[in-house]
Parts: sequence; structure tokens; C-alpha cells
Amino acid sequence: MAELFQKEASDRELAEEMESHLQLHIDDNVRSGMSAEEARRQALIKLGGIEQTKEACRDRKGLPMLETFLQDVRFAARMLRKNPGVTVVVVLTLALGVGANTAIFGLVNGVLLERLPVPAPEQIAALVIQGSGAPLGALGFSYPQFVEFRKQTEPFCEVFGQALGRPNFTADGHSDTLAVSGVSSNYFSALGLRPSLGRLILPGEGERPGEPAMLVLGYSFWQKRFGGDPGVLGKQVRLGGKPATIVGVAPKEFRGQFSIFEMDAYLPLSTLYPDQSGNSLWNSRSIHMMLSLGRLKPGVTLAQAQSRFDVISHRLAEQYPATDKDIRVRVMDERLSRPIPYANNAFIIFSGLFLILGALVLLLACTNIANILMARASVRQREMAIRAALGGARSRLVRQMLTETMLTALLGGSAGVLLGAWLSRLVGSIHLSGFPLQLGFGFDWRVFAYALTAVVFTAIFAGLSPALRATRADVNSVLHQGGRADAGGAARHKVRGDLMAAQVAGSLMLLIVAGLFVRSLRAVENMDLGFDPNRLLNVRLDPSINNYSETQTTEFYRSLETRIRALPGVQSASLASSVPIGYIRGKQSVYIEGRPVPPGQQAPAILFNSVDSAYFETLRVRLLLGRAFLEADGETAPPVAIVNETMAKHFWPGESPIGKRFSMTGDAGPFIDVVGVARDGKYRTLAEDPEPYFYVPLAQSFTAERVLQIRSSVPSESLMPLVQREILAIDAHAPIEEIQTMKESLGGALGYFLFRLGASLAAVMGLLGLLLAVVGVYGVVSYAATQRTQELGIRMALGASRRQVLALLLRHGAQLVAAGLLFGLAGAWGLTRVMSNMLVGVSPSDPLTYLSVAALLSSITLLACWIPARRAMRLDPMVALRYE
Amino acid sequence: MKKPEQRDLFPGALEMMILRTLKRQPLHGYALVQHIKRTSNDLLQIEEGSLYPALQRLLKEDLVKAEWSISSTNRRVRIYKLTAAGARHLERQVSSFEKMLEGITRVLARGES
Repeated sequence: MAELFQKEASDRELAEEMESHLQLHIDDNVRSGMSAEEARRQALIKLGGIEQTKEACRDRKGLPMLETFLQDVRFAARMLRKNPGVTVVVVLTLALGVGANTAIFGLVNGVLLERLPVPAPEQIAALVIQGSGAPLGALGFSYPQFVEFRKQTEPFCEVFGQALGRPNFTADGHSDTLAVSGVSSNYFSALGLRPSLGRLILPGEGERPGEPAMLVLGYSFWQKRFGGDPGVLGKQVRLGGKPATIVGVAPKEFRGQFSIFEMDAYLPLSTLYPDQSGNSLWNSRSIHMMLSLGRLKPGVTLAQAQSRFDVISHRLAEQYPATDKDIRVRVMDERLSRPIPYANNAFIIFSGLFLILGALVLLLACTNIANILMARASVRQREMAIRAALGGARSRLVRQMLTETMLTALLGGSAGVLLGAWLSRLVGSIHLSGFPLQLGFGFDWRVFAYALTAVVFTAIFAGLSPALRATRADVNSVLHQGGRADAGGAARHKVRGDLMAAQVAGSLMLLIVAGLFVRSLRAVENMDLGFDPNRLLNVRLDPSINNYSETQTTEFYRSLETRIRALPGVQSASLASSVPIGYIRGKQSVYIEGRPVPPGQQAPAILFNSVDSAYFETLRVRLLLGRAFLEADGETAPPVAIVNETMAKHFWPGESPIGKRFSMTGDAGPFIDVVGVARDGKYRTLAEDPEPYFYVPLAQSFTAERVLQIRSSVPSESLMPLVQREILAIDAHAPIEEIQTMKESLGGALGYFLFRLGASLAAVMGLLGLLLAVVGVYGVVSYAATQRTQELGIRMALGASRRQVLALLLRHGAQLVAAGLLFGLAGAWGLTRVMSNMLVGVSPSDPLTYLSVAALLSSITLLACWIPARRAMRLDPMVALRYE
Repeated sequence: MKKPEQRDLFPGALEMMILRTLKRQPLHGYALVQHIKRTSNDLLQIEEGSLYPALQRLLKEDLVKAEWSISSTNRRVRIYKLTAAGARHLERQVSSFEKMLEGITRVLARGES
């Protein structure tokens, strides 16, 4: 740059020097007797034009690279301003392509690539525990396991962790359900975080039940709920019905350890699990709630940590064969365990697929731009030929044209980044019931680098070939051709045709993926869940936090049910411990009578639900055999169970399960009678295969926390205030943990959410692709028609009918579309192989989707061919012949 | 790039003359032209169109340096001065020119006799 300024200075000096030289000469001439005017004239003739001399001096100095470049940029900017139409179309096209890509990459970046916002984040490793036979990350650590690992790994790794919770939170007379992390005492110290207000949870705090309850607010929650009021410190609130104190606010940039969820608050474990009695988190080796991370000591690699963890796992397995047999802890890069360690990398495939779709959209955009530039290149061939004739080196001309493309691409890219930022904010603002989804994130260098790569790629892909072609032309032939300059026309038409076929192919792939996602969403939304989710309201309650006894709890629920059933519009109401695809309790080991578990093996663990007698009627779960629960199936009556079809088939194939018995405690019983068989349904996720499941009466398996489910003839939303009033009438401090309609509950992360996100993202990309392809096809065909105007005129003058001309133009278009469709179908088939895990109710090679999308695309593209072809057909032969 | 100009006697002659003139005394561009014209008895006409590019070249190679000052006629002028490197360069050029001239003279003399 300095050199450039220097050069400008020396230019100025030279001009001054010339001026002074001129003056001296004039002075001399005047002295020798010339008139002032003549003196000046003679001096000027002698000097030979200031500009020329200056130019000669400049040439001597040689042009530095940078100056050539700036010259090119200035020229390019002039050219862009001269053709605003072309510029706007190219910039807009590219903005769409880059925008879609930036948005998707931004999402992927935020979820998968950014490290945790903590000091030395590269030391943080995810610790994912694998139990015997369980899939990776299916379970967290049990608290006793967690404590042992933390103690034994101390020299090389600090283990810390958290359990998720959804307690009810009441402050200032208003309650909501929060997403919280119940953290180990060393959580914040190991992460190395500092509070933005007050204090965080300190080492040594909160791992002994009975300690005073406290909480640290998440930054966003603090802003949202308390308007960022620093006065919240020391505030008394109720958490799960019990008093607790706000002691601090977490740092702004820390949103919890999950990249897609933002935690509302962080509690000491002892605040989330205050109860130590019986089988609790604190002492049970079969309650696996602790999701753990480790901070590796400096210099310790993942592999070294892995081998140490293996030794400890082995030791624990020997020590506790009943519960810890075959456990293995995988030590992995924290980012690989995202979004949550349950996800089995589905998210990575999902991201990969959408990055590919984004790249396809960008390719389509590039193709369009290449097309436009090709058309421009033929127009400018004359300009290029003249410049070549005047001595412009070909490399210089190509560089000049590339600079133009690059400048346009940069403009389009900047617009695209803005569009992308807006799009990703839009996706980020999706509210997911249940968990506070957070997909909003800052655009960091990775996103910009990605966008820049896309821009450079576009400029080179779309600009190089037209530039080479425009400058390849033989000077002589072009200049002799008159105005219509298109040397090597046949080859160029071929390239343009190939591009058009590629566009059809790319757009078909996008549309097929979109079609599959949409059909899958349809299938999911109409899926038989095994129960009827319409007009069903879920109210989760936990009276135990009011220190109710078991009898009081039972009495509370009984009077509640009576009151609710009396409400107008309520058809039935029932209680359960789990909500399918929503609030799920754990599995239960099952021992079949007469079939003892072989030594060294574990009893199968099966999902179950505790329900009351009205459950099957309320949820509309059909019973295939036997009977529903009765009021008579009370605490003292013989224990009974209802199994689903899959469980019946699994344990008692070919026989009626009615009257068969199993135990939940051990091979020796006590045993439970199977009294009925219920239809299969969906229990954990929508995409799951039929899974064994059973029901037991609530009266025979007490839980304090239950979900009241209300079937109504009126919309569930309208019942909410009435239900809340009834609950408060029984107990003014009633512990409503959550109240939502079944439809809302199904919209959650385990329900429709991913399907809806996938379908809407894919649909947007598909439509973008379609739009780009239609514009591209239309452009190619109408350009070809214009180029062939003269030929068509001759044909028509020689007697070709308009129909024949139309057929001529259409045939070419149709051939290209057909070729594109063929390649597109093959490409789509390949691309959709990775989708089998993301689709429900539709196969990734679903012929109906393929055929209908292909039919749709071919009719739209043929229409895009037909319109310009028909315009060409209407030509007046005389006009066409004179066309120049 | 421009073709080598015919009015240059041979490549480097103009530069040599400039350097030789500047060795005697620092001058501005216009004075250089006048001086060369005068001392060659109007045999050598220096074109301004080649003088200034030549001066720029010499400047770039640090054979001369230039600074602004005021002429006797009260015009702002740029005075060129020979540098030490310029003086050495001139010496080398002159000696090789003399050798060449001697060679040419001998050939021409031989041809005559």
C-alpha cells in the first residue's frame, strides 16, 4: 500500500515538474521575442503533450500487481454500473445461494463446531458411559459411579457433571417450569467460569442432601424473567414448592453444556434431589442421571485418558457385577457428543445432509450466474477482440473478467451473509415447548470463512469458463462478423445445454429430498400413536413437595379427579406416571415366572406406566384381550398388569398372555398377573420400532408425581384456566409442574419437532432450487431462441410452419430436461440413502415421491421452455431476417 | 512498451550525457536540455519526451537525486544532482564508450585506407 501512495506522490511531482519545465520554456520563448500565446504553443509542441510524457514515464516504472488489480476493480465497478439489470440478477441469485448456505452452516457451526465458551475449552472431554448392551450414551452415570470416577481420575482429569431437571419455579406470585441443571459441586470451578452477578456454586457445596436450597440463574432467564434486575440476589423463591435462595447469575456467554438447549438455572444437586431416603439418586447404582464431562489436565490426550478410564471401569465392573458389569466410559471430544449424548450422531448426518442440500442450491445459483455471464461473454466478445487486437494479453483480459465476476460475487456474498444471518435468527427463534431450544448464535470466523469460500468458488466456477471463452475468440473472425459475434457457437450452446441439464438434475434432487421430508412429516402427523392425541390435556403434579403423606396424596388426586370430571366439556380424566413421547419414567427389570435369568445375565428392562382405571378410556388405548384395571385392583388386591402386543409376543409367543405372571423384583416373585393386552403405541419417540410396554395400577405402584390427563369435547386450551382453578381450590399451594395440551407435548424434541424442522428447511431449499432452475431454463431457452432468430427467420421464409419451429425449439429443451431428470433421479437415489433414519412412514426410495416430483419438475421446466419458444414462433420472418 | 527510439544515438547515450552534464553542476530538466543543445552546438536535440523518462529511470536507480528549489527566474524547479553511485556509473560508461569509440574509429579508419 505504501508503495502505492509513493507512486501517487511521484505522479504529482512529475506533473509539477512538467508544468515548471513548460513555464521555463515559455519564459525563454518570450524572452526571444515571441508573443505569449505563440511562446506557449511552441513550448507545448516541444514538450509533446504533458500527458503523453507522463504516461511514458509511468510505463518506464512498470505497473505493480496491486495497481493493475485496482485498475481492474475500478473498471469492473464501471462495468457493473453500466449493466445494472445483469448485476442485480446475479447479485440476487448469489445472495439466495450464499444465504441458504450461510444459514445452514451457521446452524451447524453453532451446534457442532463451536467449543464451549469456557477457558481452555480444548481440555473439555465428554464422558459417555456405555452399559451392557445399551446403545452409546443411552444412560448417564449413576451418582455413586460418578463419585468413584471423579475420585479415581483426579490425577489426570477433573470429572464434573449434572443431572437435568424440570422443577416448578415460583417467584413474585407467578410460576413456570424451568429447564435446570443440577450440577456437581465442582461444575463451575472445573469449567473455569466466573459469575456475571453474585456467585456460582462453589466446590464442596451441594452434594449432601439437606443443605440449604439455592440456585444460580442462567443469564437469559435472568434477563427475561427479572429484566436483568441485580436485586434478585438473595431473593427467596420457591423451587419445586420449597423455598430456595437466588445466589448468583451465570456468565452471559455460557448457556449450559448442551449446544441446542439453554438452561434457565443451575442448582446444586442437593437442591434438585433433596431427598436421601429409600432408593434415591444419592445411593442407587441403577439411577443413571449424571451426564458427565471431564477437564483433562494439561498434556493429557484423549487416548491416554481413555486407557485410564478403561482401567477404572474394569475395576468397578468387578466390584459391582450386578449393576456395573460391562460398563465402559468413552472419552471423546466434547463436540462429538452433541447435541446431547443420547443422539447417536443422528444430528451429524442430519447436518451433513443439509450442508449437501445447501451446496446444491449454491451450485444451481452458480449455474445460473455462469449462464448469464456466458450470454454476456458473447456480447462482449467484440470488446475483448478489440482489446486483444490493441495488444491486451489474454491472461490480462481473463484476469480483468474474473475481477468483474469476483466483485459481483462479493456483492452477492455480502447480501447472502446478511440474508443467512436473518434466516438463522428466524430458525433460532423457534420456540420448542418443554426445553428452551437455542439455535441462535453469533456469526464467527468459521461462518465468514465458509461464505467467503462459497463466493470464491462461485466466482471461479461461474466466471472462469465464460472468461476463457470470451477471450479465446480469433480476433479476425470476430471483427469480421459484424455485430452478432458468437464464435464457436456450437460448443457454447453445448456447454449451456449441459448447465441446464445439471440445473434440472440438482433441482430434482432438492425437490425429492424435500418431498420425502414433507411426506414423512405427513406420515408422522397422521401416525397411529396407539392413543388419540386430540383434545387431551396433560397436567403434571407433584404433591410430595407439600410434604403430603401417601394417604394425603392419594386423597388429593381422588378429589381432584372428581372435581375435574364434573367440569363442563370433560369426557373423562385419568392419572398416569408417564406421558408417551413426553414425560417418561424409566424402565423396569422384568422376571418372567418359570424362566429364571441365567447367571451373569441381566433381566430385560422394559418401559412401563402406572395408570388408574380410567386411563384406557381417556387415552383411547384399545384393549385387545382381557380387561382394563378396576377400582378393585387396589393396594391390597392381587397385583395385576396389562401388557402391550409386542411384550405379549416377545415373552409368550403363540399363547395367550392372560393369566401368565411376571415379577418386577426377582425370579422368586412376588408375581403379577397379566389381565389384559393393549394395542401397541409409540412410547419414547415417533420413529421407534414397536417396543414392549406394560401398565400397572397406580394403586399398586405408588408415585407422588403424576400426570392428570383430561379428555374433553371442547378444545383443551379452553379448559386450562378451569383446571388450574380447580387445583388451587383443593390446595392454594398446589404444585402444578406443567400444564400443556397433548399436541403441544408432541411438538417437543422427541415428537414432531425434528420432523417439522427437517421438512420446513428441506421445503425452503427445494423451492429455492425450483425457482433457480426455472429461471435458468427460461434464460437458456430464450437466449437460444434469440441467437437463432435469423436461422428461424430463414426456416420460416422457406416454408417451415410455426408448429415446426415450435417443435424444433421445444425438442431441444425437452431433451435437456429429460437428461437432467435422469441424472437427478440417480443423484437423489444416492443422496437419500443416508436419510433412512430420518424418515418415518416413507421409504427413502419412495417411488410415488420420485415420480410425482419428476412430473412436477418436468412440467414446470417444459413450461419455462415453451414460453420463450412460443415467442420465437410468433416472429415475423421479415423482421427475423433483418434482425441484427 | 515503446520501441527503442531512433533519436537515442545508442542505448545509454542519453543517460551518459545527462550524467556527464550533471557531474559539472546540478541542473533542472529545462536547463539540462538547453545545456546539451548548447554544448553540442545544436547538433544534439534532446526531446523532452525522452529526457524525463530517462531522468525517472536514473532516479529509480539512485544514480541521480532530485530536490525542489527556486530558479533565478523565480520558478519552482526540480534540481537534479549526481550521486556517488552516479559518478561511478558515469566513469564506467565513459570508459567503455571510449573503448567502443576507439574500436569504431579504427574500423572506420581501416575502411577508408
